[in-house]
Amino acid sequence: MNTETKKLALRSGNQMTAEGAIKAGCKFFAGYPITPASGIYKGLIDLLPLNNGIAISSPDEISALAYCVGASMRGVKAMTATSGPGWALMIETVQYALITETPVVISVVQRLGPCTGGATQGAQGDILITEFATSGGYTIPVIYPSTAKECYEMTIEAFNWAEKYRTPVVLLSDKEIGMTTESVDYSKLKISATVHRHLISENDADFNNWKMYGFDSPEMIAKFAPVGSKVKVTATGSAHNTKGSLKKNDPETLAVLKHLEEKIQAYRDEMVLVKEDHEEGSDNLLISFGITARTMKDSVKKIRKQGKKISSLTIFSMFPVPDKAILKAAEGCKNIFIAEENFSGQYRMIIEPLLKNYNVLGINKLGAMITPDEITERIMNL
Amino acid sequence: MNTIEQCSYMTHGAVMPFCKGCGHSNILKKLNDALGLLQIDPHDVCLVTDIGCIGLADALFDKVHTVHTTHGRSTGFATGIAVADKVLASGKLKTIVLIGDGGSMIGLLHIVNAALMNVDVTVIVANNFLFGMTGGQTSSLTPEHFNTITSPFGSMNPSLDICSIADASKAGFIARKTATDKDLTETISNAIAFNGFSIVEVLELCTEHGTKRNDIKGNMLVKMAEEEGHTVGQIKNSDSRAEFSKKYHTDVHAHKGEIKALKYINPAYEHTLKFPKEIIISGSAGERVQSTAAMFAEAALMCGLEVTQKNDNPVTQGSGFSLSEVIISPGEINFTGVSSADFVVAVSENGLKEIKAQDIFNRINEKTIFIIDESLNIEKKGLNIITLPLRRLCGGDKAAIGAVDYILMHYDILDHNAFKLLLEKRFGTYDKIFKEEFYKL
Repeated sequence: MNTETKKLALRSGNQMTAEGAIKAGCKFFAGYPITPASGIYKGLIDLLPLNNGIAISSPDEISALAYCVGASMRGVKAMTATSGPGWALMIETVQYALITETPVVISVVQRLGPCTGGATQGAQGDILITEFATSGGYTIPVIYPSTAKECYEMTIEAFNWAEKYRTPVVLLSDKEIGMTTESVDYSKLKISATVHRHLISENDADFNNWKMYGFDSPEMIAKFAPVGSKVKVTATGSAHNTKGSLKKNDPETLAVLKHLEEKIQAYRDEMVLVKEDHEEGSDNLLISFGITARTMKDSVKKIRKQGKKISSLTIFSMFPVPDKAILKAAEGCKNIFIAEENFSGQYRMIIEPLLKNYNVLGINKLGAMITPDEITERIMNL
Repeated sequence: MNTIEQCSYMTHGAVMPFCKGCGHSNILKKLNDALGLLQIDPHDVCLVTDIGCIGLADALFDKVHTVHTTHGRSTGFATGIAVADKVLASGKLKTIVLIGDGGSMIGLLHIVNAALMNVDVTVIVANNFLFGMTGGQTSSLTPEHFNTITSPFGSMNPSLDICSIADASKAGFIARKTATDKDLTETISNAIAFNGFSIVEVLELCTEHGTKRNDIKGNMLVKMAEEEGHTVGQIKNSDSRAEFSKKYHTDVHAHKGEIKALKYINPAYEHTLKFPKEIIISGSAGERVQSTAAMFAEAALMCGLEVTQKNDNPVTQGSGFSLSEVIISPGEINFTGVSSADFVVAVSENGLKEIKAQDIFNRINEKTIFIIDESLNIEKKGLNIITLPLRRLCGGDKAAIGAVDYILMHYDILDHNAFKLLLEKRFGTYDKIFKEEFYKL
């Protein structure tokens, strides 16, 4: 056994999220305790001071995100972490980040809902409330890792997206991923290069044409001006024109509101993080994400062992929906199973319209992890 | 310096968007003058405005950074801006919040916490006793008996004394002024210059909604406030507390060495496992159940195995049961739940109760081995139960450790030496950790 290059440690998803944030260049964290997300808070309280950053405790989740958005407006990468009940409180402020095009990462470690639900019980029930948290129905990019290792890697990705597209990004997770400790080989981490938002300077050639929220094409993302720099910031959470001036019933303002969505749509094809396990000639495709994607892997092995062909698709980039990747994986199949730990089939509702020509079936459970046998039996008995 | 001296922070010739006689115009002019008095570079000023009429101010200040926020949250955003600036950036920024009486109550928590933190933020509360922009509704700062459209017979509640709240929150600079006070410029400039949290509540009249329903004039504001029991004037000006970033730097510097960097584990031991092994350890809170599981998991990692560990306990953490599920495997572990335990350990009644409550008897196989303390009794037939005097020989706090040690001594799962090493690191010489009799089990 070659152990020379291995760098092993026992880490939880939450710890790896905290470490990934440091690698991504996060300098500011504000936290409020909530099971099962508190590990990220603790992780960054320990790590940030050692990495030229700061982590502070906030008196509630509304403050936590407001502090982060404020810090990001000052020009630093910022993050907070919460679970469903805290996310509910943050929804006003995440919309503020969205309309002011302020990069920020919010880790939502899901637990059983609704309301305070079950603090120490896992669930995948916050998919819809995470995504559809804005008036107007804007796309909040959502990334959902399924292992501690991926928590590290995809936290970097979440920061990169936030910085590049000037948007809030949700790093979705769940109790089982966040709080379960597992072996991680640090030498095997796939670390993306970190991205930092483009800043405007008064010396830039494009300075005279620069506007806080300016764009001349859907894919254009205005350079960022930090509060306190030599470029005056005009930020507002109200409907505004490209300069940031409050205007109503103004075509330019409406164009800015549309651009908030158009810029994400313009990049949706590069915002794809999926893993396909294709089996030639399979009628069946199994789709999952997060903790259930791990179960899915075991089920696929069992199903194949029992002589049935099966393909699978793990989705990490939940939103924008990786539609082309889903359709490509579905090609040639008849039945599409979507396994998720909620009773209503939240992601199934989202992708079902894409899959009109297929027999779409949900595998769902409430209050406990779906087991490999449960998925296997369901598919074998079709 | 020339440019700064000539600079008016407000747009030249700005037309105030407020009603005739509204105190807001005066407050903003004085704010402009206060900044001029301090000769601050406009790029070092951030005006954070709330929702409501006073929140229209950002459009009037075209030289300074303006951040117009959601209702009540302005002090929250300002706190983030100020902390980031002072700790991570230039440290020169002066962050000023403009908020109305309505917003100050929605955002009271942000004000209280900014004061407790002593961040370098100045909050100016433009208090005209009601929600003006939405039609003149009662706010929490409306004085008792004051008429508004939602308190046509006079407000039922006394008004909140926000300066007292700031005082109770240990704010260093607190003033309550009126919009027509001759020294308002000076007070605001002192507040901005204050290195830490400062608050200036400015009493004023809403000429659209306030004066129409109440027989009140500008010169009656002080009396009105005093009748409510509120002190008017400079209430506090003390810099005895360190500004947040100063304290932060001092504290972090003093304690930096206490946080240990992550150490990687060296897989120097061997294992002969062909298939995963699943173990459930249960006991009572405070009896090292979860740390035993963590040591077992670490030993497995030291043997080059893949590991997952899940802990469970009641929400109160320090009471009742404690339970851990560990899977070790020569290959990748996907599903992290124990579905067919190889070993189930119970060292106390609390633990055994939880084993039953979580229906773990349905997650075993015919070979599952139960290691239980001699004090416990499983009334279930056909199980492979090994009863040991764990509590007696290892003590309650090490009974779980003893159980795992017993498993590693008697079953070929992973190198016992790996676990021993961890035990010795924590408890000293292996032979002395438990009573002598234990090693003969």
